[in-house]
Amino acid sequence: MNLWKNIILFALIFLITSGPSIQAQTLSGEQILERVDNNYGSDNKIMVATMVIHGRRGSREVTSKTWVKGDDRSFTEYLAPPREKGTKMLKLGDQLWMFSPSTDRTIQISGHMLRQSVMGSDLSYEDMMEDPKLQNMYNAQVISEETYMDRPCWVLELTSLKEDIAYHSRKIWVDKERYVVLKEDRFAKGGKLLKTTEVKKVEQIDDRWVPTHALFKDVLKNGEGTEFRVESMEFNAEIPEYIFTKAALRR
Amino acid sequence: MIKFLIKGVLRDRSRSLFPVLTVTAGVFLTVVGFSWINGIQSNWVEVTAKYNTGHLDVMTRAYAEESEQSPIELAYIGLDQLLNDLRQDFPELIWTPRIKFGGLLDIPDENGETKVQGPCMGMAVDLFSKQTPDINILNLQDSVIRGRLPEKPSEILITEEFAQRLGVSMGQTATLISSTMYGSMAITNFSVTGTVRFGVSAMDRSTIIADISDIQNALNMENASGEVLGFFRDNLYENEKAQEIAQHFNSKYSDQDDEFSPIMSTLIQKSGLEDILGMVNMYGGVIIFVFVVVMSIVLWNAGLMGSLRRYGEIGVRMAIGEDKGHLYRSLIIESLIIGFIGSVLGTIIGLGLSFYLQAKGINIAYMMKNSTLMISDTFRANVTSLSYYVGFIPGMLATFLGSVISGLGIYKRKTSQLMKELET
Amino acid sequence: MTLFKLAFKNLLGAGIRTWLNVVVLSLSFVVIIWMQGLYKGMNNQAVTSTIDVIYAGGQYWQESYDPYDPLTLQDAHGVLPDELKSLIKKEEATALLIIQGTAYPQGRMMNLLIKGIAPDQKIISIPSHFLDKETKDIPAVIGTRMSESTGLKKGDTVTLRWRDANGTFDARDATIVQVMRTTVQTIDQGQIWVPLERLRELSRMEGEATLVIVDKDIANPSKTEGWEFKSLDFLLQDIKQLVQTKTAGASIFYVILLLLAMLAIFNTQVLSIFRRRKEIGTLMAIGFTRAKVIWLFTIEGAMHAVLAALVAALYGIPFLTWFSKTGWSLPESVDSYGFAIGEKLFPVYSAGLVIGTTVLVLVVTTIVSFIPTRKIAKLKPTDALRGKSS
Repeated sequence: MNLWKNIILFALIFLITSGPSIQAQTLSGEQILERVDNNYGSDNKIMVATMVIHGRRGSREVTSKTWVKGDDRSFTEYLAPPREKGTKMLKLGDQLWMFSPSTDRTIQISGHMLRQSVMGSDLSYEDMMEDPKLQNMYNAQVISEETYMDRPCWVLELTSLKEDIAYHSRKIWVDKERYVVLKEDRFAKGGKLLKTTEVKKVEQIDDRWVPTHALFKDVLKNGEGTEFRVESMEFNAEIPEYIFTKAALRR
Repeated sequence: MIKFLIKGVLRDRSRSLFPVLTVTAGVFLTVVGFSWINGIQSNWVEVTAKYNTGHLDVMTRAYAEESEQSPIELAYIGLDQLLNDLRQDFPELIWTPRIKFGGLLDIPDENGETKVQGPCMGMAVDLFSKQTPDINILNLQDSVIRGRLPEKPSEILITEEFAQRLGVSMGQTATLISSTMYGSMAITNFSVTGTVRFGVSAMDRSTIIADISDIQNALNMENASGEVLGFFRDNLYENEKAQEIAQHFNSKYSDQDDEFSPIMSTLIQKSGLEDILGMVNMYGGVIIFVFVVVMSIVLWNAGLMGSLRRYGEIGVRMAIGEDKGHLYRSLIIESLIIGFIGSVLGTIIGLGLSFYLQAKGINIAYMMKNSTLMISDTFRANVTSLSYYVGFIPGMLATFLGSVISGLGIYKRKTSQLMKELET
Repeated sequence: MTLFKLAFKNLLGAGIRTWLNVVVLSLSFVVIIWMQGLYKGMNNQAVTSTIDVIYAGGQYWQESYDPYDPLTLQDAHGVLPDELKSLIKKEEATALLIIQGTAYPQGRMMNLLIKGIAPDQKIISIPSHFLDKETKDIPAVIGTRMSESTGLKKGDTVTLRWRDANGTFDARDATIVQVMRTTVQTIDQGQIWVPLERLRELSRMEGEATLVIVDKDIANPSKTEGWEFKSLDFLLQDIKQLVQTKTAGASIFYVILLLLAMLAIFNTQVLSIFRRRKEIGTLMAIGFTRAKVIWLFTIEGAMHAVLAALVAALYGIPFLTWFSKTGWSLPESVDSYGFAIGEKLFPVYSAGLVIGTTVLVLVVTTIVSFIPTRKIAKLKPTDALRGKSS
């Protein structure tokens, strides 16, 4: 199972916004952030997504199905390619397990491994465990208003509230109507831009606006980054409780 | 005259035997000493060759650029064809694929939960194929401390130190958590069948050795390999030959515009050992030079002695009217004959021993405290083309010079005093 | 005693022949000692330059530090205890802080170690003084090998990224202020050297270190809570083993050199016995026993060695001394993986080596001189007198 996939998946989950948009007058940064977080929603979701990894050898597609319940429980199963099929990943709070069907083993990713970057990628296991609610981690301030993807946006500067946040600050472009984050820059403490996320397409699913195509990129590194496409999305689905247990990994 | 002199040399044992024996011994030592120093030079790079680069190393151009990080995502795909080509084009080398990888080794408890885990470095080598060179090259058979070598798929060796740290017993399952060549996480079960020791701390910490096919499966590297190493069959690195082969290969197979086309590089290009080899060569060169000079002096000395010994004989020959120039020339030719015979004999015997030392080597393990070291404790001689004629320098030149100088004494002697001398 | 005198007189009487042999033998002496000295020197050099450049008198390791385990490195730092602080203050030690980072030379990603060192430290010979620069970018020093694998040269800028003590990413530009030519790979490959205080501040590890290097003269290190002292024996273990192996391999050459010396003397002995049959006969005729004659010749042979030792001393000592002072300049940057050799090779002659070689050559010469003399035992005095050998 690919960590990239998971990381990006989780990262995208909080980018995915939902719920009716509220006409905003003059909102503070905090309020905007709250709405962004609310749009992300704590409800249940089932999503099938495909990730396109652009490597030096060409591109590769990986498809997964993810069940999310609330803020801190998710279960992912990989569907394709054949080699990855059946690999599962379970996140419960700040714990992360992985199951590989070929070995029939469940392995917890913990301790030092969490901070380890994965095979030279810039994303760590820890990134996957990040709190999806931005307001829990950052102060927000509106610094300007811009048009991005033909959508009027607020540009928010987020500064970390706590010390143990991986990215010291971020800059997000929030759609004024839909409260969808359309673009995000993540910065190191010294102010250097580390990573960017650009949403390429936003679609309406049920009555929510959902970014369904995004591009993630590590700007320090050469390369074309990784694309993420939502194939299907179901909100407020019935998800049985047993899915979020270690026993379900083996099933 | 030469015929006559050869007869003389052969028939008069006192005139021939000792000088020839001396020259033979001297030439013999020179040849062996030369080959030995040559061999020692190779020993300097042997560890690097075995564990890192081989004598020649084929990888993709992209891999080569970052090879110190062992980027398996840039591995060469199409290994079978490459191996075929290599074995066909360069049969003078043994070609064997290697994959270096990193990961975590995870030991489960009885419930399949992680009991203990630690980071590991992995080396995938050919363990199972019929004529695998790797078991020999890595001296695996003798390095096993506990257990045995892997015999079937999914069996691995790990270092003794690592096994102790993880508390692994033989036959136990160990799960390798690594990453495929496409970046996906790879989780594979292995059974630990034996432990080894390298004698190099950095490797002894946490190395695992697995069969190449197992790792290809585990890391999604079907028909792919990080590197293909080539070893000269006599296990001795020869830079010029290696460079020639690399050049030949690259002009035929490597494409500058395709970063995944293969490129071959030599041991010294790859390992940054150019300097050390240069130094060792220079050092060896000086040693050989000094040795040959000293040996020449010894044999020259022997030549001088020989002529002095024959003072009486020369006197008689002068007395019966032999021309001084003729006498001098005959002495010199005789010394050349002796030098030649001695040199040939010495070279033959010396080459014999050198070849033996090249094939067998001398294991100095008994001189060392740790006899299970995988680092090379076998020193070998190396017979090069120069080995065939290096002995002739002291062998012929020195005896020739010796008689040239001592023979000059002939011209100092006066015929009038000869009879007097002969009387004593 | 008369035997000795006689032998000595015979030797001197033989004039040029004796001296030829003596010179040849003395050459073997000098060459054997010289070559062994060179090897020892190489051994010594490798060890000393490693000591100079990184180990000094030994190191205190923070208890979690394990140079071979990258996973534990993030925890391998701690506030210096007072004992170590005072050592550093007295300039008897210096601290290193090591954190894991990533460099992005030309958009390539490369994991490395970022090592903080005090620019003004005098404990190890690493050129840390280049880091003493007040710049916006982090001043950094790398080794030549690192320079080659990253393509970074003096004056170039590279982005470094790491995580501070809290796990927050930080990234800054570092400017290479110096590329150091070092033969010790352990301070070169896969690492970048930056000023200690700067790194401490940026990584939020104020007053902390990963290891402390003590000066060479600090004999008895004190025990410190949470820090473990690693002696030179421990630190140099691998390199010493490697050197030991190489030296053992060279010892075979030593044997070949000894054989050469033997050859020289054997040859002389055989010839002189052959040539001096009449003399032997005469000696026997005037009442020398065979044993005495054998002794005489053996002593003569052995005296060759004594004379050779003297002659060797005459030119050998100045030569070897000169050589050990001048050293042997090696081609640029000579070293192998982790095996360090200084810019110049200085041979090391131990008393043991010199005395050992001398004694060995003496013994060997005596034995070799004795072997051909056994022939004398077979000689009949009457035949010998007539110059016939049996």
